[in-house]
Amino acid sequence: MDDTASTTRKTSTISSPNYSAASPSFYEGSTTPPPLTGHPPGLNRMATVGNVPQSGAGGKSEAFDIVKTYHRLLAEDPELTMPVAAIEALIELLVQSRAVTVFETLDLVKTQSDYLKSRIPNSISLSAGTDLFQRYMISSLNPRSTGNFDAVRQHLLSNGRLFVSRAKAGRERIANYGRHFVRDGSVVLTHGGSRVVGALLSKAADASASGGNVRFNVIYVMNDARNSESKAVVSALRAKGVPVATIPEGAVGYAMGKVDLVMVGAEGVVENGGIISRLGTYQIGLLAKAADKPFYVAAESHKFVRLYPLDQFDLGFDQEVIKFTTEDEGEADEYGVKTPRVVERPEYFGAPDVPETPIEAVDYTPPGLVTALITEGGVLTPSAVSEELINVWW
Amino acid sequence: MPASDSAPSPDPSTVVPPAPSPTIEPPKLTGAELKKQKQAEKAARRAQTVIGKAVMPPPAAAAGPSSAGLRPEAANAARGQQRRANAVSSSSQQDIPTRSKKSGSPIEEPKEEDKTIEFFRHLTKTKAYPAGLKGANKDVHPAVQVLGLQMSNYMICGSSARLVATLQAFKKVIQSYTTPPGNTLTRHFTSHVLSPQIEFLASCRPLSISMGNAIRWLKLEISKVDIDVPDNEAKEGLCSAIDSFIQERVTLASQVIASSAAEKIRDGDVILTYAKSSVVERALVQAFEAGKKFSVIVIDSRPLYEGKHMAAALANLGMEVRYALISGLSHSIRRATKVFLGAHAMMSNGRLFSRVGTALVGMEANSYDKPVLVLCETIKFTEKVALDSILHNEIAPADELVIPDGPLENWRDVKGLQLCNLMYDVTPAEFLQMIISESGNVPPTSVPVLHRLGNESQA
Repeated sequence: MDDTASTTRKTSTISSPNYSAASPSFYEGSTTPPPLTGHPPGLNRMATVGNVPQSGAGGKSEAFDIVKTYHRLLAEDPELTMPVAAIEALIELLVQSRAVTVFETLDLVKTQSDYLKSRIPNSISLSAGTDLFQRYMISSLNPRSTGNFDAVRQHLLSNGRLFVSRAKAGRERIANYGRHFVRDGSVVLTHGGSRVVGALLSKAADASASGGNVRFNVIYVMNDARNSESKAVVSALRAKGVPVATIPEGAVGYAMGKVDLVMVGAEGVVENGGIISRLGTYQIGLLAKAADKPFYVAAESHKFVRLYPLDQFDLGFDQEVIKFTTEDEGEADEYGVKTPRVVERPEYFGAPDVPETPIEAVDYTPPGLVTALITEGGVLTPSAVSEELINVWW
Repeated sequence: MPASDSAPSPDPSTVVPPAPSPTIEPPKLTGAELKKQKQAEKAARRAQTVIGKAVMPPPAAAAGPSSAGLRPEAANAARGQQRRANAVSSSSQQDIPTRSKKSGSPIEEPKEEDKTIEFFRHLTKTKAYPAGLKGANKDVHPAVQVLGLQMSNYMICGSSARLVATLQAFKKVIQSYTTPPGNTLTRHFTSHVLSPQIEFLASCRPLSISMGNAIRWLKLEISKVDIDVPDNEAKEGLCSAIDSFIQERVTLASQVIASSAAEKIRDGDVILTYAKSSVVERALVQAFEAGKKFSVIVIDSRPLYEGKHMAAALANLGMEVRYALISGLSHSIRRATKVFLGAHAMMSNGRLFSRVGTALVGMEANSYDKPVLVLCETIKFTEKVALDSILHNEIAPADELVIPDGPLENWRDVKGLQLCNLMYDVTPAEFLQMIISESGNVPPTSVPVLHRLGNESQA
C-alpha cells in the first residue's frame, strides 16, 4: 500500500499543484483524487477526471492537457482522423505519465478518455479510438503484469505507435480494395468530406491515368452549410480529371436513376453494422435502397464503435436538428428552409469550453441500407461488424 | 398425403369395421351387445393388420385402401378415412388410452377420431400427457419425479425457471448417489443414473433448449471428474460447479441483461411486452426503480395468460400498465415506442423461438416501425436453426384451449373438429433489432458467434 501511495504522488507531479499539495494519505489505494473540500462544488465533478490538470482550474500552464493535445494533433495533421488522434493523444499521455502500476495506468487512461469524451460534443468517432486503445492496453498489460512494468510500458508505447501508423496506412488499403468497385463508365454518388472516400476515388482515377481505362463520373451532393469543404472535394476530383456534377441535397432522388453506386464515408460504424455519418447520409441510403443501387461505406476498422442505436434519436447526445418554435427565424435561407445549424468543425479550432456548442449533425444509417463496408481488413457485410467487435472485445 | 391413396381398390378383408358414426347417433346397446361388438372389431382389426402386413408393409397405406373399399357410400370422403386409417394403424401397435369419460355415449376405441393434427403429428407425444408416477422408471429420483409433475402442469414454467429447477434436482440426484463397487462415477453416473432422470423429464414435457445446453455442460463436467477422486469430493465438486453455473449463466446473466435493457428505456417510452418473461420483468422493474418515466403495455393470450402475472406484478409496484389480449395488438402497438420480448431460445439463424404469438407481435412491431429488443441469456442460444414453427415445437394438450362450459366443451365428440394448442413460434430475424445478452447487445446475425463463445468454449 505504501508503494501505491508513493507512486500516486509521482503521478501527481504531472497534475495540478492543488492535487500534489494534498496529503498523500488521501491517495491511498486510488489514483482518483478525493473531492476537494473548500472549493466550489463544480470541482467535485472534475475530481472524477483523475489526476488531470484542469486548464483554468489550477492556474498552471505547461501541464499535460489531453483535450488540447487532441486538438493540436488534429490541427497539425489534416489527414488524421478523430479516433487516431485520440489514440495518439493517449499515447502522449502515457509518455508523460509517471504511473508505475498497471492499475494506475489503466485508471489514468480511462479517466482521461472519459474526460476527453466529455469535452468533445460528438464523441462517437473519438470513443471508438479511446475504447480500442483501452481494450488493447488491458489485453497487453494483464498477462504480463508480473514482469517488469517499465518493459511492459515501453512495449505498449511502441505498439501504440505501430497501431497509429497502421491506422494511417489503412486508408491506402481501403482505397486499393474499394477502387475495384468503381467500374468503367460508372457513376458514383457521394457526399461529405470523407478522406477515405477521397483517397478511394482518386485511386480509381489514378488507375485510369496509368494505362488503365477506368473512366467514371461523380455526382457530388453539395452541402450548403459546408460549402468550402464541398468545393475542395469537388476541385480535387476535377483536378484528377474526373468529371464531377454537383447537385443540391434535394436532387438526390432525382439523380438516383443515373447513379450506379453510392460511396460514403462514416464517422463511426456501430455494432449492428449501421453507420453514423454526416447528416444526409441516411436519406441517401434510403433513396439508394428504393432505387436498388448498391450503397458502400468506406471506413477504417478503428471506427468500429461499441454503440448500438435503435433509431436516429438514440445516439447518446442531442443534436437539436428538429426544433419546434412559434418564433420566425431570421436566418432562414433562400429556400425558405432552415438547414441545421452547423459550424465548421469547432473541435478543430480552439477548445470549445461549452460542450453544448452546435455540432456537426450526424445521422444513423441502419445496416439494412448498407450493401457492404470497405475496411482495410477487407470488404465486410454489415453483420460481420458485430462479429469483428465481439472478437476484439472477448 | 395418404389421402390420395384412398382411391377405391379391391379390398382383401371381408370384415366390415363399424362406420365412424356411433359417436353421432348414440346406439343404445346392452352390455352384452357391446362386448360382442368389441370382440368383432378386435378380430376385424387383427385380420386387417395381418392382411395389411402381408400385402403392403406400411400399415397406414394398408389400412387406407381397405377402409376405402369397405365404404362404398363414399360419403365420408378422404379426410375421415385418412383419420380412421391412422387410428386403425396405431391401434395395431398399442392401445390408445381413452380420455373422454364425460360423454354419456360409449365411445369405442377403434371408432374414436384421431384428434391430432396431421401437420403436427410428429410433435404429439406417444405417452399419455401427465404421465403420473405410474410410468416412471424406478430409477427416477423423487426430486426429479416431483419436478416432472410440476413441469407438466406448468407449475414450473418458463425456460430459465425450468433450467434452474432441473439443475437443482440433479444436484439432489448427485448428492444421493453412491458409486457402486467396481465402477467409477465418471463412467457409471451419466449413463445409469442421469439418463433415466433426463428421459423422465423429457417425457413430462419436452426439454427446453436451455436445459439441453445445461445437460450437455453437466455431462461434460461429469466426464472431466478424475477417476481417482473420492466419491464425496467429486460429488461436492459437481454440486458447487452446478451452483456456480446457475449463478453465472442465469442469475448474473439476467442481472446484466436487465440493467442493459433498462438503460435502453428512456423517459416517455412506452414498452410493449408479450406474455411473461422474468428477465423482461426484471428490466422493467429496474428501470422503474431508477426513476425512469415510462409505461408498459402487456399483451397476453390464451390459454396460459402468463401476462396477467406480469401486469399485476408491475402494477403493484406503481407502474402504469395497460393490459390487452393479442387480439388488440394492432391497436396497442401504435402507442408503443419499443417492444421487449423474452425468449425460449435463439436459433443460429437469428430467429427467435418464443411463446406462441410472439411472431405476431414481432410482425406488427415491424410494420409499425417499432424497435424489437429480445432479452435472452446466452444459455438459451442454440446451434439449431429454425425455418418454421412446425419442425421444432411443442404441442400442449388441446383441452387447455377449451373453456369449461363453453361451446367447445364436447369438442371431442364433434366429428372433423381438431384443436391445436402449439406452445411456441418462430419470429424471423428481420423483425428483431437487437438481442440483449449478458455478453453485450448484438444483432440477430451474431447469435452463432456468441453461442460458440458462450456454450461451446466451456470445454
